[in-house]
Amino acid sequence: MRKILNLFRGRRRELERDLDRELRYHFDRRVEDMRAAGLSEEEARRRAAIEMGGLEQVQEEVRESWSWRGLDDAIRDARYAARSLRRSPAFTATAVLSLAIGIGASAALFSLVDQVLFRLLPVREPERLVLVDWKGNSLSDNRGSFNLMSYPICRDLQRQDSLFEGVFCRSAQMVDLATATGGKAEPVRAELVSGTYFPVLGVSAAQGRLLDEGDDGEPGAHPVVVLSHGYWLQALGGAPGVVGRRVLVNNFPMTVIGVASARFRGIDIGEIPALWIPAAMKRQATPGWDKLLDRRACWMQVFGRLRPGLTAAEAQAGLQPWFKSMLDEDTRREGFPPVSAEQRAQFLASTLVVTPAGHGHSPLRRQIDQPLQVLMAGTLLLLFLASLNVASLFLARGAARGREIRTRLALGASRRRILSLMLADSLWIALLGGSLGLLVAPLVSRGLLSFLPTEAGGVNLSSGMDGRVFAFAFVVSVMTGVLCGLAPAWRAAHVPLMDWLRERTGARGGVRLRKALVVGQLAFALVLLVGAGLFVQTLTRLVAQGPGFPTSGMVSFDLNPLRAGYAPADASRAVHSALAEVRSLPEVESVSVAGLNLLSGGSWNIYMTIETDGRFVTDRLVHLGAISPGFFRTLGTTVIAGRDFDERDVPPPGADGSVRAAIVNGAFARRYFGSASPLGHRIGFGNRPDARTDIEIVGVVRDFSYRNLREQSEQAFFPFGSDSPAGMFYVRVRGTPAAALASIRTAVGRVDPILPLLSVRTMDEAVDRSLTTERMLATLSGGFGLVALLLSVVGLYGVMAFVVTSRTQEIGVRMALGATRRAAVWLVVADAVVMIAAGTAIALPCLWAVRRLVEAQLFGVHAIDGPTIAGASLLLALVALAAAMLPAWRAASISPTEALRFE
Amino acid sequence: MPPERFPIPQGTLDMLVLQILSVGAAHGYAIAQRIEQISRNAVQVNQGSLYPALHRLEQKKWLRSEWRASETGREAKFYALTRAGEKQLAIEKESWDRLAAAVRLIFAQGE
Repeated sequence: MRKILNLFRGRRRELERDLDRELRYHFDRRVEDMRAAGLSEEEARRRAAIEMGGLEQVQEEVRESWSWRGLDDAIRDARYAARSLRRSPAFTATAVLSLAIGIGASAALFSLVDQVLFRLLPVREPERLVLVDWKGNSLSDNRGSFNLMSYPICRDLQRQDSLFEGVFCRSAQMVDLATATGGKAEPVRAELVSGTYFPVLGVSAAQGRLLDEGDDGEPGAHPVVVLSHGYWLQALGGAPGVVGRRVLVNNFPMTVIGVASARFRGIDIGEIPALWIPAAMKRQATPGWDKLLDRRACWMQVFGRLRPGLTAAEAQAGLQPWFKSMLDEDTRREGFPPVSAEQRAQFLASTLVVTPAGHGHSPLRRQIDQPLQVLMAGTLLLLFLASLNVASLFLARGAARGREIRTRLALGASRRRILSLMLADSLWIALLGGSLGLLVAPLVSRGLLSFLPTEAGGVNLSSGMDGRVFAFAFVVSVMTGVLCGLAPAWRAAHVPLMDWLRERTGARGGVRLRKALVVGQLAFALVLLVGAGLFVQTLTRLVAQGPGFPTSGMVSFDLNPLRAGYAPADASRAVHSALAEVRSLPEVESVSVAGLNLLSGGSWNIYMTIETDGRFVTDRLVHLGAISPGFFRTLGTTVIAGRDFDERDVPPPGADGSVRAAIVNGAFARRYFGSASPLGHRIGFGNRPDARTDIEIVGVVRDFSYRNLREQSEQAFFPFGSDSPAGMFYVRVRGTPAAALASIRTAVGRVDPILPLLSVRTMDEAVDRSLTTERMLATLSGGFGLVALLLSVVGLYGVMAFVVTSRTQEIGVRMALGATRRAAVWLVVADAVVMIAAGTAIALPCLWAVRRLVEAQLFGVHAIDGPTIAGASLLLALVALAAAMLPAWRAASISPTEALRFE
Repeated sequence: MPPERFPIPQGTLDMLVLQILSVGAAHGYAIAQRIEQISRNAVQVNQGSLYPALHRLEQKKWLRSEWRASETGREAKFYALTRAGEKQLAIEKESWDRLAAAVRLIFAQGE
């Protein structure tokens, strides 16, 4: 703003200087000419000065021609509009509030959408970052979220330096971190990264130095870590001497070499890591699962920084020749798995896909991307509805101000001036509404964030409003301002002057436009109401369905002694001792241990081979779980055919892969055995031709939810090995979970006080958490629906009240001529019925158009659902009719004589 | 008896300036001189209204201006007609002709 002013000032000075020179030139020439004609210097100057008629006056007149007419007028209009708005506080308040709701909601949503979907990573030239992903059958063992690659392929890609300036890989993991020797370890988020991570991203250090290639060489030889700025402040109080400090990662000593810059919070927008560990330290960071140099172990995401001027598509094309030869080489490498000819062909047909990744990599984004888009569409609809409401209010005001406008026009004001006056009005309202909306937005935003899952570490999203949100709110305010002002301005510009002068006609035309606006409002409100109905039903259906087992009184936690530095044999002993300790507690009804994290969104899955009459491979991934005998009883579900596991099924220690028995769920049995019994048939892991099918199906268990409440999946369960070094405990407790958990902690502490209970939660919490998206959609769309209903009904009421006022005389005449009161009411209500019907008729195709957007978010109900649409329409119609009834009734209650006197 | 020198009638200065400049670019002093010369000193240009008029016409984009050396060698602000200015001149000439013809007609009737 100041810049613009200065610009004006500079220009002004220049103009003044020029004018001065110009007039001086004139004066000097005049003096010269007069002297040439024989006058003395003094006399010539005197006469010239008189002729010029006062320099000051000339300058002043010239300056007047510079003054920017448009700007002056605009300022005058703005002042006038402000005064007139202040004189009608009720109108102003209603209009400002309507817009504040719309703008506040959309600013809050935009803030979230911006952070999740649009914002680039705070690193050097994020637009040059790309993700490199494998497309096709990689024949690998995948562990992690998605876009998974192996560490060796990242190394290979680093040599493609004609395409990439640098390549790095990373994997998000949980580790136990103790920042002081002897201190209690806490589970924290960590990123395992290649040495190229920080240099390629271009992140700087706040303290010490960051990891580089020298820290990621020989496996196990680089016990160093970098802390995130947030963790350093929060857990260590920003201690200055942190560099060189010894910390324990999974009870393994490592040294802090630095703290990353405060701006950088990892490349996953959903999660802030506490520390970064070199990938070379994988064995220590993920105990019990090394495979760092295994080409078929995929657990990291690979990113590259493109050479300047290259596009992702060019890099992708450039990679293929090398990748083809690498695939070919891989098949001849030692340790390449034996596969069928078909699988081998699939492997060789794989390609690499390169996509822009300036926004980082985020499971959270994947989860809430679509719901956020749905909500953003909803808020924009709400905002539009609010604008229509305000436009309608302005039209009413325009009608009320008819006399003023007529006077102005009669006095010769141009149509453009009237238009700008009206726009000034609506812009004021919009800016006020926008400012108020921005005040409300952080509250809405905080509410929104509270819906998101916030497991350990917290979500890296803020409810604060930044410059981008302000810019968004400003643009939206101006746009709505223009939108609101458009209708009245359009009328001012299109109604002929004569119609304005004939007072009545003007008012009529306004009503027609206002009715059209109300129809639009009703249509939008119906769309939002139907949306709310669908999402609320989705949530209630999921809650009613439940996970398929009773959740109350059920707690679960993870015990992983490996992360406390145990050797595998000691770890499995500790797990079993803990199991015995917990089982002996009076608060515990039953307890089972499993290699299975229910309702966490994660899964252990694989294709399986089934032997029946012939041999075939499952067409979908089968979700797996390792469970101890009695697990189903603890969970509260039942084995519906065959038997549960017993101690004989548990593989003895050291007998790796000697699983002999399996229990499948109902869905598995139905999909692969139809109505036949699966009992006694044999299955095996994997889909390779050499997969051993020596596992007998001994039971079928009732279906229950695995990853989340929505998904129906085929599941197979195996006995939990007696030598498993870690396990998830499922405990059915007596009394409150909180009290029981306290005893459980003590009981586990008796095994070893340094063992932390990880991912502690009650099943109710787990169910809640798996429904966050659905709850967010249901709550917000419900709120939107109600606000929309309110706004549109207020709009309808306003128009009907106006119509009734202008028709009071007519109604009076009709009643004087013998019309019944009911007929009089109907006269008015019929109008409303037509509007409601028209709104509904417009809403239906809109619903059809947006069905794709919402379909994926629904459960147990379709986007085009008859009962929901009928219910929403009925609700809208009833409320709207009630609103129309009020003024109609009032009109019909006036005595005819009074009505006839009415002006 | 009419005075020796007329002040320029209200509203016609703009037209005269445009006409002078249609011949070629000139600075303010030259414009004033030329109006007086061509009208054989019958019309007197008041500098107090010439410069505001020039600036007004420039704001309306009928004129453009630039500083360059004048006949005396000193820098002066030269004004020239724009395409829009040419059009405007044609319009003003035509309406002036019609007005003058009308006035003449009225006087002829009265005699």
